[in-house]
This record gives sequence, C-alpha cells and structure tokens, in this order.
Amino acid sequence: MTLATLAAGVVQVVGGVLGAPAIVGLIQHLKARLQGRRGPSVLQPYRELRRLWGKSGVTPEPHTFIYTVAPAVAAASTILALLLLPIGGHGPDWGLGHDALVLIGLLALARFAITLAAWDTTSGFALMGGARDLMFSVFVEGLLLLVLVLLALPLHSTDLLSMSHAATLPEVWSRPAHWAAAVAFCLVIVAETGRQPVDNPDTHLELTMVHEGPLLEYAGRELAYLQWSAAAKHWIMLVLACELVIPNPVSFAAQVAVLGGGVLLLSVALAVCETVQAKMRVLRVPLLLGSGVALCLLGLASWFAGGGG
Amino acid sequence: MPLHSWLPRAHPLAPAHISALMSGVMIKLALYGLVRVLFDWLAPPGLWVGITLMAVGALSCLGGVLYALMQHELKRLLAFHSIENVGIVALGLGASLVFADIGQPRWSAIAFAAALLHALNHALFKGLLFLGAGAFAKAVGGLELDRLGGLLRRMPWTGATFALGAMAIAGLPPLNGFASEWLTLQSLLHLGLASQMGVAFAGALATAALAGTAALAVYCFVKVIGLVLLGLPRRAECAQAREVPVGMRASMVFLAASCVALGVLPGLLVPTLAALGPGRVTLHEAAGLNIPGTGSLPTLVLALALVALVGALVRLARSRRAAPAPTWTCGQPPAAGLQWTSAGFTKPLRLVLEALLRPRRELRVIASSGVVEALAYQAEVPHLFDTLLYGPVSRGALRGARIARRVQSGSLRTYLIYLLALLGVLLALARTGVLG
Repeated sequence: MTLATLAAGVVQVVGGVLGAPAIVGLIQHLKARLQGRRGPSVLQPYRELRRLWGKSGVTPEPHTFIYTVAPAVAAASTILALLLLPIGGHGPDWGLGHDALVLIGLLALARFAITLAAWDTTSGFALMGGARDLMFSVFVEGLLLLVLVLLALPLHSTDLLSMSHAATLPEVWSRPAHWAAAVAFCLVIVAETGRQPVDNPDTHLELTMVHEGPLLEYAGRELAYLQWSAAAKHWIMLVLACELVIPNPVSFAAQVAVLGGGVLLLSVALAVCETVQAKMRVLRVPLLLGSGVALCLLGLASWFAGGGG
Repeated sequence: MPLHSWLPRAHPLAPAHISALMSGVMIKLALYGLVRVLFDWLAPPGLWVGITLMAVGALSCLGGVLYALMQHELKRLLAFHSIENVGIVALGLGASLVFADIGQPRWSAIAFAAALLHALNHALFKGLLFLGAGAFAKAVGGLELDRLGGLLRRMPWTGATFALGAMAIAGLPPLNGFASEWLTLQSLLHLGLASQMGVAFAGALATAALAGTAALAVYCFVKVIGLVLLGLPRRAECAQAREVPVGMRASMVFLAASCVALGVLPGLLVPTLAALGPGRVTLHEAAGLNIPGTGSLPTLVLALALVALVGALVRLARSRRAAPAPTWTCGQPPAAGLQWTSAGFTKPLRLVLEALLRPRRELRVIASSGVVEALAYQAEVPHLFDTLLYGPVSRGALRGARIARRVQSGSLRTYLIYLLALLGVLLALARTGVLG
C-alpha cells in the first residue's frame, strides 16, 4: 500500500465520518449570514449530535423491529458508501471494490430503510415525506446513471478510481460531454442532499417536508444516526462531484487540495443557491431533473460529434 | 408488453402455489423459446433484432412496474412485476445480441449471463412472494392492500420472509436481485460506451430506463411491505391472523435462504451461465462479481460488512432506555382508519405522470339545502393497453365477425350456391391462365 492510498483511506474515514457534519454546519452558517442573521456556529451539528447521543430514545406505538433497525441500516450503508469513494484518485481496497453502481445501490438501501420506518409508525407526516422522496428517487437515479455513462466514456469503466483518473486527463477541459455531465450532476447533488429548490432542510412545517418527514418520530441515538447519514450524504455527493467532474491535476497532493477547495466551494454554492432560490413545487422537480436528462443526451451526441473516443 | 394483457388477470384467479409456478417456470418457457430461436437457429440475427428486443424490454419493465405501483390487489400487483422482470431479462438478452453484433464477445457473454441469472432470481423471489401472498390469503382471506396491515406481528415467519423477498425483487444489496440487476445494468451501461452512436444511445436510454425501473420497484415494495406487514390492522381478521403451518413456512424459508445465497455468492454461478452464451467466454470463479471495466461487486464482503455494522449500530443505540409513546397524529390516538392507503402513497408519482397514466376519478357530493350529506369518491388508473389497444381491436374483431356471420345463413341451398360460384370462379381463373 502506497502512502497516497493510506492518506486517501484516512481522509475517507476522518473526512466522511467526522467532517461531514461540518459541511451542513457551514451551509447553515453561511445561509444565515447571507440573510443578515448571525446564525448558528459551524459546529452546531456536532453539538446537536452530542446532545442526541446522550438522550434516551422514544419508541412510538405501534412499531416493529423494522423501526428499530432502520436507522442502523441507513447509517451502515452510508458508511460503506463512504468507503467506496475515491480521494485524490486513490482509495484503499477495503474488500468492497470501488464500483459506482454499488454506491448507488447502498444509497437506495438507506432510502428503503428510512421510508419503511415511516410506514412502521403509521405517521401520516412521515409517509408524506417518504412518498415524495421515493418519487424523486425515480428521476434522480435515471439521471445519475446517464451522468455515469458520460463520465465513464473516456476510460470505459464504472470503477470510481479510473473514473476519477479520467478527470485528470487534460482533454476533459475541451469536451462538452464532460461539462454536460457536470451540470447534470449539480442537479443530482441538489436533489440527493435535499437542498433548495428541491427540498428545504430548515423547514419546521411537516406538510412541506421531504427528507426530514420520516425522521419525525425518532429521538436519541437513532435520530443521531439519521442526522449523521444526511450529513454524510452531502460529503458523498460533493466528493464525487470534485473527484469525477471537476478537472483534476495529476499529483496526489494537488488533487487532495482541489478536493478540499472543491467541497468548500460547492458548500458555498449550495448556501448561495438556497438563499436566492425559493423552494419549487414538488411536482415540478421531475421537470427540472428531466432537463438534466436532455442535457446528458446532448452531451452524448456531442461526444460522437467530436469524433468519439 | 404489449402482449401481456392476460397475465394480471390470470394470476389473482390461480391458487398461490400455482401462481408461484406460473411466474417461476411458465413465463420462462417463452424466454427459453426466445433464446433458442435468437441465439441458436437465427444466430447471428442482426443488430436490429437486438435493439428491438431491448426496446420491448425497456417498455415492459417500465410499463410493468409503473402499473404494478398503481394496483391495489397484491397478486395483481405481483403479476405486473412479472412483466417488469421479464422486461429486465429481455434487456439483458437484447444487449447480448447487440454486443455480439458489434464484436464484443466478452460483454455479450456477460449480458447473457445477467439475463439468465435474473430469470433464475426472479423464479426464486417471485415464488417466495406468491407463496407469502397465499399464506396471507389463507390467514385473513382477501388480498386487497388497503384492507390488510400489521401482519408482521401476527405472522413473523411469513412476514419476515416476505419482506426479504420484497427486498430482493426491489434490487437492494446484498440480495440476489441486486446482483443480477447490477450485472444487467453494467452491460447496458457498457453498451452506452460503444463506439457506434446509435448503439450508444440505445444503451444509454436503456440504462436510464432500468435505473428508473429499479427505483420504481423500491417505491412499490416499500408500499407493499408497509400496507401488508406494518402499521395497525385495518380489519378484524388481520388482528387475529394466525401463522400458517410449518410446511408452508418451510418452503418460504427455503426460498428466502436461496435468495440470500444467490445474493452473496452469485460469482459461483455466473461463469457457468456465461459459458452457455454466445462466444463461449470463460470468466473466473469467485464469490463476488469481478468484471474488468467495473469496480467489481464483492457480494460476500459487502453482505458481511453490512450485517456486522448494522448489528454493532443497533447495539450501540439500544444501550439507552427508550420510553414508549403513541405516534404523533396531531393529538388523537393512532387509529387504523387514519392510516395511509395504497392510492395515497403513490399519489405524487400519479400526479407527475398524469399525462401518461390518465387516471380517472369521480367525486359526487350529495348535498341537501347546503348541507353535505354524503360524498362518493371513486378513482382508478385504467390500463391503457386495454383501453386504447385491446378494447378497439376486440371491438373491431367482433364487428367484423358480425358482418362475416351474414354469409352463414344456415341453409344448405345457399352453401351449394357458394360452392358452385367458387367452382365457376376457379374455372374462369384457370381458363384465363391466372392460376397457371
């Protein structure tokens, strides 16, 4: 194992498990500043997690073991998804491979567990959010797969490491297919992390919730798992964007610097986007994602117009 | 699709174990015929056959799962899922033909293996789901989704195996449905990377269609598990449901175990299946699926890691005491009548796809002197293939038959005249040399 792989492994675990809540904190903080408020500190999510960790739970009646296991399943599949991510084009082999489709499958498993828990409590608010989340996922997964086709074109592989390597090739700068994938991936980020205009993460009105809805009945450590998973999903999506979409330098150290800067920049972009954009109607979101699909197909056409591989 | 109209009607009428055999074996006979004809007799059948097969497959899997989502009866819903899964198999077979045609024998064999593996997996989890449906029908009588609920507590064995089968058919890791869908998706995605533009577009569109199908299947089975197994019982029979006898349980446990085994060790089977395909390609055997051009799917490690992590996290969370409290429903106690319905859960999608699905709804308000006395509401999602294709065709056929019937008067003399007239016409034609 080379030093770079080892360092990548450390970033995977430390950045993903410990650093992810800071992204959410940063976005919240910046958003408050942009709106002229002082806002909570960047470390607020950590404080909330600590508070939740010390609290006892609440088990709603009725419930079955599915309600109890769901937060653990969501957190476990998110942890495994973290370990598949490339960091600076490297990543230790945890025995899990580095396949993009496996990562999507793990995220789907987390979503399945959370929405099933919503059914288990019979809470109408939870199901409202769950049903919307599943409806979005149909369009998000279709779009995400098209983005992956575009990003896999240069090296003919869905291995995240080689896809990340493809982003270091100098010619990606001049390929419209790559930029189409970049724009479409931005839509995927917004939808998957539940940010405006798709979903409003700061809402306290149950009727408008999407991703928070199924979390309503949870408390204590189980809620801590779910909140951490939501934060870790930000990390996963932003790191994927930086590794696969942003053109990267070749050397490992420079790549890690680009990764850090990219995650920071994208967090700022999300905060700005949330400040200037109102939440859109739930039923219009598929239209937004559909425009991403059209863009991807244009990108594919441009690939062949440019002479292919 | 579009020759599928009989299936959702046939399944609810058959007993559960026959339904299990129907979806497991009978539907596969058609696929066997397809494989024999396309891969044996007509080989190589040409590019357009593969692309057409993929188009039909994509239509079947998207259409099948979309209509499955709109069903409110368990066996009818499962029947639509058979259409979806056969569509996925057809996508794999089509991709295999296309790969063979563009000179990629290795991927052709992989796509072929994916199709066969999915056919086998479908037989397992669909058999399991139909047996489970049969057990529920025996315990509570009637499989209307909106009149079940809470069965996981009453029937833990049936419930747990049914939930496992639902996870498998929804294509979630680490079960067998994920392994074969992963393999199919990989082959479609690599078709999207081909250097021919038309083939690449077909591959990319099929990839997106299959991804959408997988997400829709998750949506559908979240609904099924939620309505059947979780929540409060919506009927007295559900509250007193009894677990089925050991014999029925044993067969379900066996099928569930096979789903897990094939999910964890698909790599032992795939090389054999790939060797059956065109190109006679050999892949090396391992527990997981390690295919060049992918990041590999180490199913065994993935499953073990998931189970271990979930176990550890549950233990950590459970070390705290938890107080029971009723679910918050704005202050009133949770009641069976307040629970969500099948139609309610799928409403967001129905609204988004309104132009495509064309749902029918009818609201009647009976009011007398300004006071609403009664409300009647009816809604359904008509099956468009029935209303727009088979309805007109069968009506046209009946009308044609009515016209043709006029010729048959039933009198012998008329028929003799027909014969003489025909003879005369034939003689005349022979004389003029038309008949040679």
